[in-house]
Amino acid sequence: MNEMKKAVGTPATTFSEREYEICVAARMIEDGKSYWVAIGGGPLYAVLLAQRLYAPSAMYVTEDGVIGPEPLLPLDPLVIGVASRPNYRALMWSTMNGLTEHAQLGHMDYGILNSLQVDPYGNINSTWVGAYPEEGRRMNGPGGADAIASACWRVLLMVDQQKRKFVPEVDFISSPGFLDGSPGAREKAGLPRNTGPWRVATPWAVFDHDEDSRHLRLIARAPFVTVDQILAEMDFRPLLADEIEVLEPATEEELLILRSELDVTGQNTGVGRWVAQAEDGSWSFAEDNG
Amino acid sequence: MDVLTEGTAEYLKVDPDGFREWVRDHKSRALVSKLVSEQEAVERLVADGDYFVFDCAEAMRGPMSLIREIIRQRKKDLWIAGKFTFFIPSMLVAAGCVSKADMGFFLGWGSVINKAVQEGTLKVYEYGNTVMTMRLKAGAMGLPYMPMRILGGTDTFRYSAGKIIDDPFTGEPMVAMPALNPDVAVIHVHQADVYGNARVFGTGIAHVESALASRKVIISTEEIIETEEFRRDPGRTSIPYYAVDAVVHAPFGAYPGECAGYYASDPGAIIEMGAADKLDAWDAYLEKWVYGVASQDEMMEELVGMTKLRGLIQRATIKEGYRA
Repeated sequence: MNEMKKAVGTPATTFSEREYEICVAARMIEDGKSYWVAIGGGPLYAVLLAQRLYAPSAMYVTEDGVIGPEPLLPLDPLVIGVASRPNYRALMWSTMNGLTEHAQLGHMDYGILNSLQVDPYGNINSTWVGAYPEEGRRMNGPGGADAIASACWRVLLMVDQQKRKFVPEVDFISSPGFLDGSPGAREKAGLPRNTGPWRVATPWAVFDHDEDSRHLRLIARAPFVTVDQILAEMDFRPLLADEIEVLEPATEEELLILRSELDVTGQNTGVGRWVAQAEDGSWSFAEDNG
Repeated sequence: MDVLTEGTAEYLKVDPDGFREWVRDHKSRALVSKLVSEQEAVERLVADGDYFVFDCAEAMRGPMSLIREIIRQRKKDLWIAGKFTFFIPSMLVAAGCVSKADMGFFLGWGSVINKAVQEGTLKVYEYGNTVMTMRLKAGAMGLPYMPMRILGGTDTFRYSAGKIIDDPFTGEPMVAMPALNPDVAVIHVHQADVYGNARVFGTGIAHVESALASRKVIISTEEIIETEEFRRDPGRTSIPYYAVDAVVHAPFGAYPGECAGYYASDPGAIIEMGAADKLDAWDAYLEKWVYGVASQDEMMEELVGMTKLRGLIQRATIKEGYRA
């Protein structure tokens, strides 16, 4: 995986799954590129971590129209945009439409998103769980993700590695991936040419999309899980790369920045199970951490 | 122009010429004071059945004092634009104010929206946040629709009022969304004069578009300033007076949210909204924060108090960019 940077620092032996997912995403961030990140949460912390260790001139924007901020951390809970701390020291304060137009013009190299559910073609559900509209329940809705997934050149998706989240068909396509996977499907639906899903990062694995079939393909795994464990937490079988890379563990430096600078309250990173490495090198999961 | 595919949602009638005539007949180009109380603004300008748009939300520069007054006056049958918000759609639905919602994003922690849909008292149509702000932009431009490069191919599109058209200029498929000209907009700003010239500092969702696109516009403002101040720095005017129908002086009008540069959010009070939603306890919440007090002033005096406000002001240490 050419885009995966070598981890900076000493390999750590204890970290949470969410912390690890953020570290892996951060290592994929490209210097000198623009990122439209989902407002709040893992995508924001991934780009902030990358700016400190891997991609100092990566620039990010959020949907309220802030361009290139250097946020004053920590943020108040839920106060993630249109506010003074997240939008501190920006290059420009625009608006939601301003930013959407910049993305439509091609200025946004990458989008980074979370998803409740994803299918083999990278279609994203954040609207509904169950059979829409009669059965099930409404979730949050796409928010700004539909614009990010439509108009950025490439999309990095962050999803939990759970069977109910990797499904053959999402219950509702909130934001577009490769749609039905057929050639030109996005363009036929009015979306900009040559855009779409790029990578999916989970706490256990990294996937890309096969260039021909657009189907999700496993390309890397965390050191603490096997390929079979990953496949057991998916409700469809992904393609498998000829060689599945083993990712480096989180490092002490990454974790120090995450825990002491970026998310001191653990609001975003202190969730998911903890992973620990024993002296003999073997990995195990701690009890559920909620 | 061929329509290749279209969504199923009902949408507010698109009528640019009707809107122009409304503007001619109902908006004043004269510099006349529009300063009124929150009670009068809502009584006069928010009607049952209106399409209602609010800009920003409970955590950041939302027009919270006016939203509470709308609930207090028990407005009903509103059609809301639920974009860039957390709990306000659930709060308005729980209060019995809403019968239709164009949804882009909210935090659905509780069941009030699901229940209202199941019981048939609420219809929900699907959008994204930026699709809604682009619809407002078309409305603010006096045009009937907005072509856009987002949302095509999704179920969100399918259950929206969008169409995919065979674009006559490129020959390519293009998403088109109906313009939105709401009946009423409420917007909270940092500074306004009595005529309705208004300044918003920092980023924003669609305050300019909402003001220009809406038939009736209520501005609530942290500060009332002299018109002379606008004349000294006209480049910082966000909204021109002639779009505005009422100006309400509402210090701390965004509470419990932040008003950037002026005061920080009150996290406990925002989480109290989340808890009311999660626990389906909106009745008790509304009794305390809305019905139990007569006005924004009374709420601030009785439920918030100077000690807390001083803390919120003290935490707003970043001023750069938020002062004219």
